Amino acid sequence: MAQTILVIDDSASLRQVVAMALQGAGYEVLQAGDGQAALALLDGRKIHMAVCDVNMPRMNGIEFVKAAKALPNYRFLPILMLTTETQESKKEEGKAAGAKAWMVKPFSPASLLNAVSKLCLP
Amino acid sequence: MNQAAVTTVDVSGANALMRLTAKVLPVWARQLASSRSQSEGAVAEMLAAFAEIGPHLDMAARQSQQISAALAQGDGGITQLAQACDQLLKPVLPSCTPQAVQAITQVMAMIHACVDALESVAKPFERETQMVGQQVERMYKGFQYQDRISQMMTLLHEDIERLHATLQAPQPQVDAEAWLARLQSKYVMNEQREQHANTDTPTTPKPDDDETTFF
Repeated sequence: MAQTILVIDDSASLRQVVAMALQGAGYEVLQAGDGQAALALLDGRKIHMAVCDVNMPRMNGIEFVKAAKALPNYRFLPILMLTTETQESKKEEGKAAGAKAWMVKPFSPASLLNAVSKLCLP
Repeated sequence: MNQAAVTTVDVSGANALMRLTAKVLPVWARQLASSRSQSEGAVAEMLAAFAEIGPHLDMAARQSQQISAALAQGDGGITQLAQACDQLLKPVLPSCTPQAVQAITQVMAMIHACVDALESVAKPFERETQMVGQQVERMYKGFQYQDRISQMMTLLHEDIERLHATLQAPQPQVDAEAWLARLQSKYVMNEQREQHANTDTPTTPKPDDDETTFF
């Protein structure tokens, strides 16, 4: 069975680009437009990994990581931050919140798939 | 010109400027919002088309790899099988009749011609699919610039709206330095910071921008 990856970004076009890259490699993709919508999808279903933007309305990526890590079923969910944000301080915030990796957009599909293959739960 | 006259001119100039900005700022904001919306729409259209052809490109790349593998495979590959036939037949050819030798040689020549024909098709096909794969990679990156542009335009749009709202006050108080510092604090990309500082450093993202930091 294919692994499921949750893609969270307020840009619909960016979500689509990420989804195409992942689906092309055989992953199943769930999409959410912000942290709050993504949290609603953490309802007990099996999710193998999340790819999350940082700057989003309603609930940003760092807040989402903290909220997801507080849920017993998703404590070990690997989260890759995929963002235009380049500041080291923000990267440190992501690390402290519990993110597993930080990738700066624009990404190449090969880099994304490489990171996903390293982080995705079996 | 006396002091009173200068003051009158200044006040009247300032009022005219206020009236102008009050009218022009919403226009700028709407133009920016429209540009952003149109570019998002255009990228959505391109992505929809790309999503349609993407699986076909992947399939062509896989087929090319399969054909190349079938030809090149060490054991059981088409090229190897033809060579194995040569090796098997070589020792028995001297014991065959001249007619049989001629027939076998002709058959083997035909087999090798088939293999050569397959290779001549497969190699350019492989090169083409590799080239297409590289261009697809560039397209993936290109699509993402819309997101960057959209973020930059959104920030400017919000700043224009904030300036318009501020100037609506009866006695607007605007501290330019504080305003710029607030704007600067909202940046998320190096390009924005570089443009703000008006530095000469290149604003195009570097190729290794997508390097991953693992924690």
